[in-house]
Amino acid sequence: MPTLTIDNQTVIVAEGGSVLDAAIALGIVVPHYCYHPALGAVGACRQCAVTILEGSQKGLKMACLIPAEDDMQVSTCEEEAVAFRAQVGEWLMTNHPHDCPVCDEGGECQLQEMTIGAGHGIRRYRGNKRTYLNQDLGPFVAQEMNRCIQCYRCVRTYKDYCGGEDFGVMGSQQRVFFGRFKDGPLESDFSGNLIDFCPTGVFTDRTNRFRTRSWDLQQAPSICPHCSLGCSILPGGRYQELQRVRAGGNRLTNDSFICDRARFGSDWNNHPKRPREARISGEKVEFPYALELLEERLEKLVEEYGGETLRLLGSPRASFEANLLLKKLAEKYGAPAPYYDAHPRRAFAARMAASIPSGQLASLKQLRESDLILLVGVDPLAEAPVLALALRQAARAGARIVALDPRPLELPCDFEHHPLTQESLLRGLSAPEENELLESLRQQLETSQRPVLVGGGELLGGEGLRLLLHFSESCCGSHDCLIFPVLHGPNSFGGGILGATGDSNRNLIEDLENGNVRALICVETDPAIEHSEPGRMQLALSRLELLAVFDHLPTNTVATADIFLPTRTIYECAGTFINNEGRMQAFDPVLEPGIPIVVTGSGGHPPRQFETTPPGSAPRSAVHLLQWLLKDRNDLFGLRRQIIKELPCLRDLDRLAAGDNGRRIADCGDTLEESRTEIWAQEGELQVLPITARYGSDLYSRWSQSLTSRFEEPSVWIHPVEAAERGFVNGQKVVLRTVVGHFHLPLVFKAKMARGRLIVPCLPGTPLEVFTPGGLSLPCKIYSEVDNA
Amino acid sequence: MSSTPQLLFKNRIPGKTAFLKEYCKTGGYSALVKALKTMSPAEIVQLVKSSGLRGRGGAGFSTGLKWSFFPSDKPAPKYLVCNCDEMEPGTYKDGELLAADPHQLVEGMVLSAYALNVDEGYIFIRYAYEGQFKNLQKAVAEAKKAGYLGKNILGSGFDFELHLHGSAGRYILGEETALLNGLEGKRPNPRIKPPFPAERGLFGRPTTVNNVETLANIPHIINGGSEWFKGLARNPEGAGTKLFGLSGHLNVTECFELPVGIPLSEIVEVYGGGVWKSRKFKACLPGGASTPYLTAEHMDIPLDFDTLAAVGSRFGTAGVTVFDDKTCMVAVTLNLLQFFARESCGWCTPCRDGLPLVCWLLEKIEKGQGTMGDLEMLKEQYRHIGGRSFCALAEGAMGPLDGLMRLFEQEVIDHIEKGHCPF
Amino acid sequence: MKKLLLKKEIDAFRKKAQKLEHPREMVIDLLRAIQDHFGWVPDAGVELAADILGVPPIEVEEVATFYDKIYRQKVGRYPIHICDSICCWIRGGEEIAAHLQQQLGIKLGQTTSDGLFTLLPTCCLGGCGRAPSIMVGKRFYGHLTCDGLDQIIAQLREEAVG
Repeated sequence: MPTLTIDNQTVIVAEGGSVLDAAIALGIVVPHYCYHPALGAVGACRQCAVTILEGSQKGLKMACLIPAEDDMQVSTCEEEAVAFRAQVGEWLMTNHPHDCPVCDEGGECQLQEMTIGAGHGIRRYRGNKRTYLNQDLGPFVAQEMNRCIQCYRCVRTYKDYCGGEDFGVMGSQQRVFFGRFKDGPLESDFSGNLIDFCPTGVFTDRTNRFRTRSWDLQQAPSICPHCSLGCSILPGGRYQELQRVRAGGNRLTNDSFICDRARFGSDWNNHPKRPREARISGEKVEFPYALELLEERLEKLVEEYGGETLRLLGSPRASFEANLLLKKLAEKYGAPAPYYDAHPRRAFAARMAASIPSGQLASLKQLRESDLILLVGVDPLAEAPVLALALRQAARAGARIVALDPRPLELPCDFEHHPLTQESLLRGLSAPEENELLESLRQQLETSQRPVLVGGGELLGGEGLRLLLHFSESCCGSHDCLIFPVLHGPNSFGGGILGATGDSNRNLIEDLENGNVRALICVETDPAIEHSEPGRMQLALSRLELLAVFDHLPTNTVATADIFLPTRTIYECAGTFINNEGRMQAFDPVLEPGIPIVVTGSGGHPPRQFETTPPGSAPRSAVHLLQWLLKDRNDLFGLRRQIIKELPCLRDLDRLAAGDNGRRIADCGDTLEESRTEIWAQEGELQVLPITARYGSDLYSRWSQSLTSRFEEPSVWIHPVEAAERGFVNGQKVVLRTVVGHFHLPLVFKAKMARGRLIVPCLPGTPLEVFTPGGLSLPCKIYSEVDNA
Repeated sequence: MSSTPQLLFKNRIPGKTAFLKEYCKTGGYSALVKALKTMSPAEIVQLVKSSGLRGRGGAGFSTGLKWSFFPSDKPAPKYLVCNCDEMEPGTYKDGELLAADPHQLVEGMVLSAYALNVDEGYIFIRYAYEGQFKNLQKAVAEAKKAGYLGKNILGSGFDFELHLHGSAGRYILGEETALLNGLEGKRPNPRIKPPFPAERGLFGRPTTVNNVETLANIPHIINGGSEWFKGLARNPEGAGTKLFGLSGHLNVTECFELPVGIPLSEIVEVYGGGVWKSRKFKACLPGGASTPYLTAEHMDIPLDFDTLAAVGSRFGTAGVTVFDDKTCMVAVTLNLLQFFARESCGWCTPCRDGLPLVCWLLEKIEKGQGTMGDLEMLKEQYRHIGGRSFCALAEGAMGPLDGLMRLFEQEVIDHIEKGHCPF
Repeated sequence: MKKLLLKKEIDAFRKKAQKLEHPREMVIDLLRAIQDHFGWVPDAGVELAADILGVPPIEVEEVATFYDKIYRQKVGRYPIHICDSICCWIRGGEEIAAHLQQQLGIKLGQTTSDGLFTLLPTCCLGGCGRAPSIMVGKRFYGHLTCDGLDQIIAQLREEAVG
């Protein structure tokens, strides 16, 4: 690790680091544009000039291109370099429109800061400026090319890093243009990263155009709730409205990138139908009254029928603290341990993942650095989009990617796909030594340097993850073969930890159906949609005497609750999520809850109503509600200390701070439970596999209005050969008959999917929303619409 | 007019192209036969090194030395690329050579490939050289048929495939790494160095890029030997002959093969037939648009790489463009800078945005609207652009600006003081 | 309607693309072939090239828009490239350009209403010894005078009719 001196300050940088990295580490501002830690150096902007006084290359050099050397002496203050940096500032600004007052980037613009930093202030060029016509890039990203300084970061972000195929650089000389071949929505699932990476206002957030100045935003570091990866995000809001999400920085997880679901899907927080007031049997009531009534009824019920008749349902969207308090509530009332996912198979997958020894779990960073990655039963772009980005980085560095999955996978990199059915995958894993493909992969994993197995909890279930763990152990050569489980929600893993210590083999729906349960408390979960059999669950819920729901989404279960208490979203309270690799990460509140002024004022001044509290500010955090019921007066820190006492594997919980890199849990001890045997022998000639759609299937996206433009049309997928055998043609209207209902759908051919199966994506707001993924495939029949008639 | 031995132009008949028959008649492919039969690749590299041949594309780096860095022991594929982009204003000698005698290049390439143990070659030809492209197509076909190209050349066991690539404009492709990107079908921005093409070039493989004239000299060096080749030059440090493309305000604007080291006066007076319209010589570009001007005081300097570097200019491609005494050097410089600004690839800031700013300043001065502040700013631009751009294009653009500032500053001041162009 | 490229040429390119280890190296060949056949490269031409090479259209567009001799806008049957670099410019290149604009009644960058001529300024054509010079399509004309130009235009007009 070279030690060098810049402006008389000494610094040690990592091997391979540049002089610019060293300056950044020292906090010395050397203006730069084309360099970005995640993209590397290309030497295009020529802004970061410094003077090398001692070193193998002396004189004025671009700091980003010069490797740091031992005993190097660097100055950023030599007159020549200072003058040159100011000159580069002048060149870059010759064509810039100076429209900062109407630019959304204003106030957080790297060009503004670095131009000042470079020392350019007075404009000498008086000639014409070159101008461009902008393109319509769809609903997410607005383009304003006149502001461009041609640093090439956008194309390196979109194309090189994210693997987008519909964006590039055109033209030459002073007229290079960054955009699409033709107008149209950007196709990449990571298009929004253009907004973060553009150093000026060429690419801005179209969903938040002309609404807020950066200095007026309330911002706080947070964790994305859309999938189990726990990407670091920086949400911002104003006037009680969550307005935008930017990528945070966590080099161990998402680095500096997030997916479009995370960035543009956060408007569920402002959903016009979001329930913000307490209700009893659908009637609005004062918050304390509802809470007291709940307590009263619970006590009465427990007194009369015993704690056995009370069930508690936590969720992968609720914070770890809330889920833990739920467990305490169960203890208080003598109720059985809570469930942590309404979907039993998903809950089992989470428990299984949580029982993998911490040292065997991979981080996204380790994935990016891997040389052989085997994906088993996972569709990254649908279940954990930023995983796909990590795969691409590994592939760019020469890694091989192999996928075993029945779905017609797409990835932003080259990979080898073996479309095996869920059944054959699980069978194969149960006896890998008898499976030629797995055996050959095992040998390759054994000889690779940094292998990682990625396992999809939805498709494999807990049983499959357990088999995968065994498989990974058989692949350990001189190095460990790490595992990267992909789960359902932001706190699935946390629920897995809590669930593993309880009596987890009970089945919620059976308990409900056999009438032994009289009351159910649901914390930030909608069992009627998240359970594997939504219709059956809905019916079962209707038999309850008391259904209490704490939530912030306008779900059906909220509408049918006997007692409803509105909760704060993750943007409105603090807490912890534990992501799929067992990383505890804290989030801080961004906003106070309340109806956005844009809604109350309908664009004008808010109504002059006189109340003691802002409209819509009733919600309390789930933690707060549960603490009230438990008469627990700890603050969040005290609560975390208490958790550590009970769960030593979370020992670093009290050292977390929002915006840090998070901390891994320690091993939770040997809690590997006996697995339930799943029935893999799937009966019937044809099976249908419900899968997670790329947009709309996660816990939050279905409530995002911005994302609806990316929802796909309902359809059922089939392998062309399979279709030909049955005499179907592509696009034909068919009837799909299953236990969950009959559906009229177009049949879509997918050549890369497994044979012998149909696939339906779970799409909210369509009849297909009942196809909750995460289970085994269902028997089905398929007819052409004509035959059916 | 003293007679110079004609190597490259020995088969040149204006309006005609020498193909295989004519080429062989004057000893064509005899060097190839000799080399394949009697010389080892290392011997050829050594011979070229000792011949003193320097790259004819403008930079003037020793060809033999460049070759000696080539990792010829690395496994195939390795590439030899001939740069026939020739788009620098004032330079047209490669075009003349290929119009006259394309087989020289083919033979030169096969020999060079043999010397470097390379199995595949490309000739990169600019869009405007349609005729030369066709000549090469024919020459390649003929050579293949005659067994000088392809598999097992002349029974030696040596294989060499040669492809032609027709470009579609843009000066930047003359930069060797941009050219390689162009060949690969990528955007032809120059690449970052290191790695150098010898290490990772075309398609990531070891590659050497040489100019047409450089490669065409190889058969002659093999036939004549290094001492003979060195002796062709007029000056003791020089080596070989050089194609001088004359242009501008001369009575004769043609391309001549003349000894390296010939003085400018002889070029202008003897071969160029004197300045046109009986005017006086004011200045010239000695080797293409990127070379700083020479003036009447430089008339007796032998034209060669080191001699011209010593007076602050460059030998470049030896495309000599002469300006008469009625020429406004501000306007000339503006025209040259406009060329470079327009041909910038748009990658780095000094070139993309700096050159247009220089043009704006020169235009202002030329129109008589300049101030002394503009002259200062122009000097600043020169200081800041030179040596600080990503590739050599902007560096080259500073050649004429340097010449203007150094040799014609008074002329610039006259524009400013008079408020109009004095010419 | 005129085709972008003959079917047999498309087939030949496709065949070659399959054989090549780096099919992208054909991108300029393809664009030039489409241009030779169609007169210029419309969006559909970029898309055809991308399809043959097996890359997204933007990859072809990035290259196509870089080169000035690939016409991404419609040009006349005879695109006239007028050299404005130093050697031609100091020997009357500007007069040539002015004369052409006057004779054809169009400005640089424009196309005559009969669709025959487009005037395009260009950098050095490598005809420095024969300045001033122009290139019509790929045909080079040097040592130009205004009278000579008129003859060339007249010849081209005749050629177009014939």
